[in-house]
Amino acid sequence: LWWHKPVIDQELLQSLPNLKVIANSGVGMDHLDLKLVASFGVKMANAPRAVCSSTADAGMALLLASARRLVEVHHIAISSSMDYCEADILGVKVSGATLGIIGMGRIGYKIALRAKAFEMKILYHNRTQRKAQEEQAVGATYCEKIDSLLQQADFVMVAVSLTPQTRNLIGKRELELMKPTATLVNISRGAVVDQEALVMALQTGVIWAAALDVTYPEPLPRDHPLLKLKNVIITPHLGIKTDKTTYMITEEAVENILAALNGLPMPSEVL
Amino acid sequence: MWYHKPVVNKELLQSLPNLRIVASSGVGIDHLDLNLLSSFGVKVSNTPFIVSTDTADLGMALMLASSRRLVEGYEMAVSPDTEYFPADWLGAEVSGATLGIVGMGTIGYKVAERAKAFEMKILYHNRSQRKKEEESAVGAVYCKKIDDLLQQSDFVLLAVNLTPQTHKLIGKRELELMKPTATLINISRGLVVDQDALVEALQNKVIKAAALDVTYPEPLPRDHPLLKLKNVIITPHIGSATKKTRRIMMEEMTESIQAGIAGLPIPHEVL
Repeated sequence: LWWHKPVIDQELLQSLPNLKVIANSGVGMDHLDLKLVASFGVKMANAPRAVCSSTADAGMALLLASARRLVEVHHIAISSSMDYCEADILGVKVSGATLGIIGMGRIGYKIALRAKAFEMKILYHNRTQRKAQEEQAVGATYCEKIDSLLQQADFVMVAVSLTPQTRNLIGKRELELMKPTATLVNISRGAVVDQEALVMALQTGVIWAAALDVTYPEPLPRDHPLLKLKNVIITPHLGIKTDKTTYMITEEAVENILAALNGLPMPSEVL
Repeated sequence: MWYHKPVVNKELLQSLPNLRIVASSGVGIDHLDLNLLSSFGVKVSNTPFIVSTDTADLGMALMLASSRRLVEGYEMAVSPDTEYFPADWLGAEVSGATLGIVGMGTIGYKVAERAKAFEMKILYHNRSQRKKEEESAVGAVYCKKIDDLLQQSDFVLLAVNLTPQTHKLIGKRELELMKPTATLINISRGLVVDQDALVEALQNKVIKAAALDVTYPEPLPRDHPLLKLKNVIITPHIGSATKKTRRIMMEEMTESIQAGIAGLPIPHEVL
């Protein structure tokens, strides 16, 4: 299953009586009706290990690009006029800043490993606290209440999976808790953020900036306000889109498919 | 002085008989004729270490933006013509790739520290080899001959200072030694690279891409081929351009100036 196609609905499942397994290219399973698929006796697998590094890299790429205004200044550097004031293109220092990671799963943890090397102070919010050694290895401090993380972070990185509990996790209230100098980076799913609230927050200076690899829908309608805001970077859901990761996803998918067809335990079965 | 202005030449120095000190912003002093200044009894200071972290951060930002096609991706995400995101649009993975650092000074080493967290394999070329503990801390392997570094690297990052020895350090020969899938990242000085050779190499796919914070001159003439190449990111020399760092640079320059005028030992004096 690549890029959510084909759509797995009742019709499709009825037309494929011999279907044994669906392997998803990526880790998110929010586009699949797990109950429906299970009711047809079809097994499901995702590719959690294959995607972590490239997604963490993308998160860091967005954080850095936003902080240092990379897209903006690149356009200045190549534009036909060279009228700009040096003092106007100052960015925000990343090293030593505070990063708040919401969702400390495999991807969130890889982000913490990278951020540590940038001497960032790391806070995290997660359904459960990580083990002490894992926290120490990246110097991460657990925030049981998300509010505490939002109030202290210079960069808020969202790396949760999309579930009924995380839908609109970041809304008006959460955005208002963030510092006015803070940047929101979303590499999870568009629906985790209340997009209208985000637009308002960005327009009124409630938060400083946003960098989004995911939106709802993808792509956004061409007249959407997010496309026009100067303090927003949007990328086309490129979190896992590298040659190496595509290869690894395919390998992981094949492993799972072969295991399912041979009646063996699947390495990344999703129940 | 900021951004190499005013030009400090014989005329200027003759017109300022009471000049005690020239405080230069940043670490590079290749724009100053030290012998000339010395002959007029004028002292020189720079702001060496404070710029290192931001410059290293920018080096990483450029490497990530280039490999993951961030600028292109942004343009696709916001373009009025975009209807969907193509499935076969891929970037190159940074995690696990090989980074060759040319110039392992303070900045080069900070880049190595960051790259290590991305599980990159790190090679470096330097006038002298670093201590074993310093190498082990970042997992860096010394390449006495630059050729070895160039032939193995997926990313070549230049972090040398500009001296007669590093002028056009990267020319046609060096570019041809690089992999055709490699990216050149320059955060040093434009003149370290033979720019004409670089244009040719990029046009003929001798190397894959370049990301340049520095060029010669700065800014480039508006009709320069580098501005039009799709596989080039250019930023307008923003290595140290963060509010925090610029503030500290100002403070350091002021300290040096006050000491210079008072005849006291000058912090950050360049001899």
